Amino acid sequence: MKQALGLNDPMYVQYFRYLGDILVGNWGKSYSIARGMPVWDLILLKLPRTADIALFAIIIAAAVGIKTGVVSAANRNKAKDTFFRGITLVGVALPVFFLGMLLQYTLGYLIRIDDVAIFPTTGFKTITYEDPPTITGFRIIDALFSGQFYMITDYLYHLILPVFCLAFISLASIVRQTRSSMLEVLQQDYIRTARAKGCKEKDVINTHAKKNAMIPTVTIIGLGFGSLLTGAVLTETTFGLAGMGELLILSIRNSDYWVLNGLVFFFAIVFISINLITDVIYGILDPRIRY
Amino acid sequence: MQKELVKETMIEEERKQNGILEISTSILKWIAKNLKFLFVPASRIEDLTIREINYEMNRSKRKFVRRFKSVLTILGILLVFFIATLAVFPHWISPYTFAEVIDIYFNAWGAPSPEHIFGRTKFGRDVLSRIIFGARTSLTVALPAITFSVVFGVMIGVIAAYYGGWVDAVIMRIIDVFLAFPSLILALVFIAVLGEIFGTGPRIDYIMLAWGILGIPYYSRLIRGNVLQAKELPYIQAARVSGAGNSRIMFRHILPNVIQPIIISVTFDIGGVILSLAGLSFLGFSDYRMIDWGNEISIGRPFLYIAPWASLWPGLFILLSVLGFMLLGDGLRDALDPRLKNL
Repeated sequence: MKQALGLNDPMYVQYFRYLGDILVGNWGKSYSIARGMPVWDLILLKLPRTADIALFAIIIAAAVGIKTGVVSAANRNKAKDTFFRGITLVGVALPVFFLGMLLQYTLGYLIRIDDVAIFPTTGFKTITYEDPPTITGFRIIDALFSGQFYMITDYLYHLILPVFCLAFISLASIVRQTRSSMLEVLQQDYIRTARAKGCKEKDVINTHAKKNAMIPTVTIIGLGFGSLLTGAVLTETTFGLAGMGELLILSIRNSDYWVLNGLVFFFAIVFISINLITDVIYGILDPRIRY
Repeated sequence: MQKELVKETMIEEERKQNGILEISTSILKWIAKNLKFLFVPASRIEDLTIREINYEMNRSKRKFVRRFKSVLTILGILLVFFIATLAVFPHWISPYTFAEVIDIYFNAWGAPSPEHIFGRTKFGRDVLSRIIFGARTSLTVALPAITFSVVFGVMIGVIAAYYGGWVDAVIMRIIDVFLAFPSLILALVFIAVLGEIFGTGPRIDYIMLAWGILGIPYYSRLIRGNVLQAKELPYIQAARVSGAGNSRIMFRHILPNVIQPIIISVTFDIGGVILSLAGLSFLGFSDYRMIDWGNEISIGRPFLYIAPWASLWPGLFILLSVLGFMLLGDGLRDALDPRLKNL
């Protein structure tokens, strides 16, 4: 047995064999969750579920967050600003599962129209509906390919609550960062020049200030991806979505070593690549930065 | 002659009386005039010259306490005080004793009533009392974990930055490895592995240790940059010339000058650790011997629609305590570091 697993070889041989296996895509096989299933297949199976909510959440959070931050900075210390700041302050401190359960209870149970709750609270789709045939694994794209448009609306409808939760949590830090860097930029000389030239306030903010204020915000979005993954784990558990987070917890509970190993490695890769992308975006936003 | 004398004395007396009156009226006038100084900030009084106004404004800005006095900061202090009170005196505050809170009753998931204001949770236990006892667990984990990571993080960061060269390179690479993982996921694995090794399941000491270790890289990074700047300053050379050793320079001369951002960051991170800890116990990785807010939520979650009070109230308390520390951190940063006032 030891011979078969190569445990008699010296440590460095084992280590390089492990590295080689990872590069080839041989990440070991599941031991107790889905016996004999390669870890890579298991991850590919669950990845689209998490990617759905994470990508939607980050896009919505970035779009809404930057807009809100700019508006908040432009109306500094006015009612609008105070309102947004209050919301973001609560958003930073809000546990994502608490928000999720609050929404589940109010929108998914308490408030009813014709005795039917407004939003579904668990799962990815209405149970009675059949999944479209698997092409890419991403269900929405699959449904698009196979032409089942009612499935797309069904998926999106089920995604609203989880994505809202996740986006709201990431939104808070983005708004704070955008606001503070906008305020800093608005004090610069070139903003005063633009105003003195007679630019409209809208143009000053949107063309002169916004792009220069984006760099710290991009950092926050990139760094926030880690907490987004964390939040995704919690959101999945709250809303009963069978994604990577659920797989992670299952693998810990069942001490499925290879799956756990693969998952943590995968999370690290995703996290590092996001940081790399952030660095590349820096270069686009500010051509002065060179590495 | 006598008449004149009498006249003079009379005049003098009159003058005296007048003088007393004058003095007293002038004192009264002065008081009335300056009374507003007691209540109105000096910077807003127009009687002062512009120079005085500028001085007063700067002075009031420079005052630490004055800057600390914003509504939100005071709210934060009150919230932290509230949570700390719950954590220190749970036995006096909670309506039920600890033994009653872990006992088993009928009427599980009972609705709120005068005896159980927040309702009942699993086994008919009082939700309010369990929340009050849970406050202690949160702070018990958060404070040692933060202390651990601050002490070791600061030490490692200062050493790396001070010596530079290969020491710096090695330490920073190790720290980069830690930073490559999302922290909650690493903490999950860490706690699970420790529980597996010792065969005890997740326990409060492992949770503390996990958060303590995972916090180290952030503090090291934070302080490293500051030390790199500070070690080039003249006072370090002066210290070296006067014969101070390396460790004395590091921890007596540099450290007090760069510790400020750490203090600000700590207040934020206590909130962050409470939040992550709640997430961890929500996922089921908590010490089952302790009463814990996150754990309360994970117990009550399957019964959300029957007994929302069992899971929503603890969540609200997590929110309040985290909010308290965040607000306090905001206020501290504004007060200690006026350059960042905009944030």
